[in-house]
Amino acid sequence: MLGYIIRRILAIIPVMLIVAIFVFLLLRLTPGDPAAIIAGDMATPEQLDRIREAMGLNDPLLTQFMTWIGQLLKGDLGVSLISGTEVTEMIGQRIFPTLNMALLTIVIAVLIAVPMGVIAAWRHRSWIDYAVMSFSVLGFSVPVFVIGYLFILVFSITLGWLPVQGYASPSEKGMLAFLDRAILPALTLATIYVALIARMTRASMLEVLGEDYIRTARAKGVRESKVLFRHALRNASVPILTVIGTGFALLISGVVVTESVFNIPGIGRLTVDAILARDYPVIQAMILITSGTYVVVNLLIDISYTIFDPRIRY
Amino acid sequence: MLFKSRNFDEAKTVLRIEDLVVSLPPAAKVKPVLNGISLNIRQGETVCLVGESGSGKSVTSLAVMGLLPKNALMVTGGSITLSDTDLLAQSAGAMQDIRARRVAMIFQEPMTALNPVLRVGDQIEEVLESHTKLPADERRRRVIDIMEQVHLPDVERIYRSYPHQLSGGQRQRIMIAMALVLEPELLIADEPTTALDVTTQKQILSLIAELQEKHGTAVLFITHDMGVVAEIADTVYVMNHGDMVESAPIETLLSNPQEDYSRKLLAAVPSLTPRVPRPAPEGAPVLKVRRLNKIYGGGGLFVRRPDTHAAKEVSFDVARGRTLGIVGESGSGKSTVARCIMRLIEPTNGTIRLRDANIAHLSRKELKPHRKHLQVVFQDPFRSLNPRWTVGRSLIEGPVNYGQSPKQALKRAAELMEIVGLPRDSLDRYPHQFSGGQRQRIAIARAVAMQPDVLVADEAVSALDVSVQAQVLELLDDLQEKLGITIVFITHDLRVAAQICDDVLVMQRGEVVEHGPAGEVLGNPQHAYTRSLIEAAPGRSWDFANFRALGAA
Repeated sequence: MLGYIIRRILAIIPVMLIVAIFVFLLLRLTPGDPAAIIAGDMATPEQLDRIREAMGLNDPLLTQFMTWIGQLLKGDLGVSLISGTEVTEMIGQRIFPTLNMALLTIVIAVLIAVPMGVIAAWRHRSWIDYAVMSFSVLGFSVPVFVIGYLFILVFSITLGWLPVQGYASPSEKGMLAFLDRAILPALTLATIYVALIARMTRASMLEVLGEDYIRTARAKGVRESKVLFRHALRNASVPILTVIGTGFALLISGVVVTESVFNIPGIGRLTVDAILARDYPVIQAMILITSGTYVVVNLLIDISYTIFDPRIRY
Repeated sequence: MLFKSRNFDEAKTVLRIEDLVVSLPPAAKVKPVLNGISLNIRQGETVCLVGESGSGKSVTSLAVMGLLPKNALMVTGGSITLSDTDLLAQSAGAMQDIRARRVAMIFQEPMTALNPVLRVGDQIEEVLESHTKLPADERRRRVIDIMEQVHLPDVERIYRSYPHQLSGGQRQRIMIAMALVLEPELLIADEPTTALDVTTQKQILSLIAELQEKHGTAVLFITHDMGVVAEIADTVYVMNHGDMVESAPIETLLSNPQEDYSRKLLAAVPSLTPRVPRPAPEGAPVLKVRRLNKIYGGGGLFVRRPDTHAAKEVSFDVARGRTLGIVGESGSGKSTVARCIMRLIEPTNGTIRLRDANIAHLSRKELKPHRKHLQVVFQDPFRSLNPRWTVGRSLIEGPVNYGQSPKQALKRAAELMEIVGLPRDSLDRYPHQFSGGQRQRIAIARAVAMQPDVLVADEAVSALDVSVQAQVLELLDDLQEKLGITIVFITHDLRVAAQICDDVLVMQRGEVVEHGPAGEVLGNPQHAYTRSLIEAAPGRSWDFANFRALGAA
C-alpha cells in the first residue's frame, strides 16, 4: 500500500513535466512574436526589445526552458504583466476563497445527493424515484447563472435572509460570516453536482441491491436502513467516489460563472481576467495549478477506494 | 446404503405449509409459481426439497422467510405456520424480528452471499446486534463461540478477515455460524453445497448434521442433487413446475417412487459406474501434450510474492474420436490445462502438439490457422453467447472468419441446429429466448460449426439440471460418433466423468496424480486423492436409476 502511494507520487513527476512543457510552449508556439503578443498592438520596437531581453527570448529554446523550469521548482511563477505583482502572491490570495467554496459545495452536494440516490434506488420505480430523476435532469439542464440569480431573487431580495453577494474569509471574519455569504453560491454550484452524484448513487445502488449479500442481510433480520447504508452503500461507493472526486477537481478550476455572479474573489475570476488581459504568466500558472489539482485529486480518489473496499489492494 | 430413517412421529411440527399459492402480479395472467403446495417439518428433522430449476423450490423458501421480491411475487393463498405463529399474518417489522431469530437461511454461493466489504466476524455479530440487547463483549464471546462450533481454525484471525481472504468452505461455515448463532427453530439451506468441491461438500454436510443434532434444529434443505439427498434426508418432497409431486421418507422415495416425475428425476442421475469401454483407438493421437507447465508469476514491487505453479509437468495423449476427462477440485489446475491447450494463455514451457504442429508457443498470428481445429464449450451458457446477437450470427462468425461465404455458413448452421435437436428457425432468435439446455446445445453447435478436431468442454454440463445434463452428454456422444471429434472434458463431477470419458486424468494442486482408462481410475483408484474424491461423492452406494443399492442386483 505504502509502496503504491510512493509509486503514484513518483508518477506525478513525468505528468507534471509534460504539462510544464506544454505550458512553456504555449507562448512560444503561438503564431508571431511572444513579445509582440505581450506588448500589444501599440508597442514600439524599443519596448519589444526590452521585453525580449527581460523574458530571455533571445536565448536558445532549451536554455529558456531550463531557466523557466528552474524558477518553477523554486516556486517562482513569474510576474504578472498587468499588475506587476508576483503570480504566486496573486494566486495565493485567490485560492482560498475558491478552495473554501469548493469544499462547502461538495459537502452540501454529497449530503443531499447520496441519500437522494439511495432512496431512489430503494424505492425503484416509485414516485420518489421519478422525482429524484426529474430533479436530476433539471439540475443538469438549468444554467448556473439562472439558478444563481434565482436564488438571489428568492433568498436575498424577496426573503432578505442572506446577503446578495460578496465573500468573507472564515479565518478572518469567522465561520458564520463565511457561511452567511457562501451558502447561496455553494447551493448554486451544488445543484449540478447533486444531480450528477444522485444519479450515480442511484445507478450504483440499484446494481448492488440485486446482490446476494443484500438478501443475506435481510435474511439476518437487519433493519432496512442498515441494509441500505451499511451493506449496500459501501459496496456501491467506488463509482460514487469517482464522481465526487472529479466534481471537486472541476469545482476548483471551473467556478468562473458562479464567482462572477456572487462577486467572489477566487481563482476562477482571476483566470478569466488573465485571459482577457492576455496576462500570460498568470495563465501559465493557472494551467499548472489546475492540472496539478487533477493529478492529486485522482490519487486521493484511488487511495480512498481502498478504505471503502478491502478487496482493492494495490 | 445407510439412510437416516429416524422416526419423527413424536416430534412437534416446526413448519407447516398448507396449500401455499404464490403468484406473479395479476396482470401477468399466468399459472401461479407455487400451485397450492403443502409441507411439514418436525423438530430435528431434515426435509429435502428437490426439483429442477424453475420448480419453485427457492420461491418456497423465500416465502417462508418473507423475502419474496416485492411487486414481483406475492402469496395469494394458503398458510405458513412456524410453531404457533402464522407467518403470513405478521407485519414487516415482526417478520424482520423473526428472521435469523426463529428462521435462518443459508444460500448457495458463499462468495456472493457475504458482504465483501465487511469483516466476517462483524457480519455474524450483526445478527446479535439486530436481535439482542447483549453488551459488546458478550456479543463477541458468542460470535467466537459459534465460530468454534462450526470448526473454523484460528478463530481470532478469521474474525477479522474479509470474505475474499477465506476459502469457499470457510465462507460457507461463516454463513452457517451466522444462521445458527441465535439457535433458530428452522434452518433453510438453499443449495448450500452446490458451489463447493465434493470433499468440502462432505464436510459442510456433516457440519450441518452435527449442529442440527446439537441444537435440535429443523432443516429444510433445498437441492437438485439426489446424491446429497440420499446422504442427509429424513423426508423428501419432490417439486415440479410449482406443484408438489410426491413426498415420502427417503428410503421409500429412492426405492419405490410413486410418480412418473420422481422416477424420471432419479433415472437421470448419472451413475458413478464408468461407461462400457470402447475399442482401443487406432492411429496417431490428435492431441499430444508433453511436460506442460504453467507458472503464474508472483510479481510485486517491493516484496516478491511466491509463484503459483498451476500446472506441473502435465503429459497426455488423446486419440481421434476419444474423450479424455480431466477431473479435479477447484485450484487443481484443470482449467489452466484447458486454457493452455486452447492457447487462451501461453504455457510457461512444454509442448502441445495438435495434429503434428506444436502450438505451445506460437504467436497470435501463427495460431490463426490452428484455432479452427480447437473449439471450446464453456460452463455457463447464459454468459457465453452474445446476448445482442442472433444465434445465426454467433454461429457463422467463426466459419466466415475462416473464409466461408455467409450464405454457405448459414446453410451449414441450419443443418447444425437440426443435428443438436433445435428447430432451424432458432437461427433468427436471440439467446435469451432459449432455456439453459438449449443454449448449451447452441454453444455446442457453434463450436462444431468450425469442424474442429478437438473440442474442449470446460464444465460444459455443470450448470444444467440432471435431466438436461443427460441429454447434452448424449448429444456430445452422438457428435463424436458422427464427426469423429476428440473431446477433452473438464469436470469436477465424477458422475459426469464416468458417463462420458474413455480415459480419466485426475489432477491435484497442478499435478497429475492418476491417469488411465475410466474403468480403472474410477473403479480401482490407486492414488489416495482419487479415492478421497470418490468417497466424497454423495450417494455413491445407491444406484439411483435402478432404485436400489449398488450391487444389490
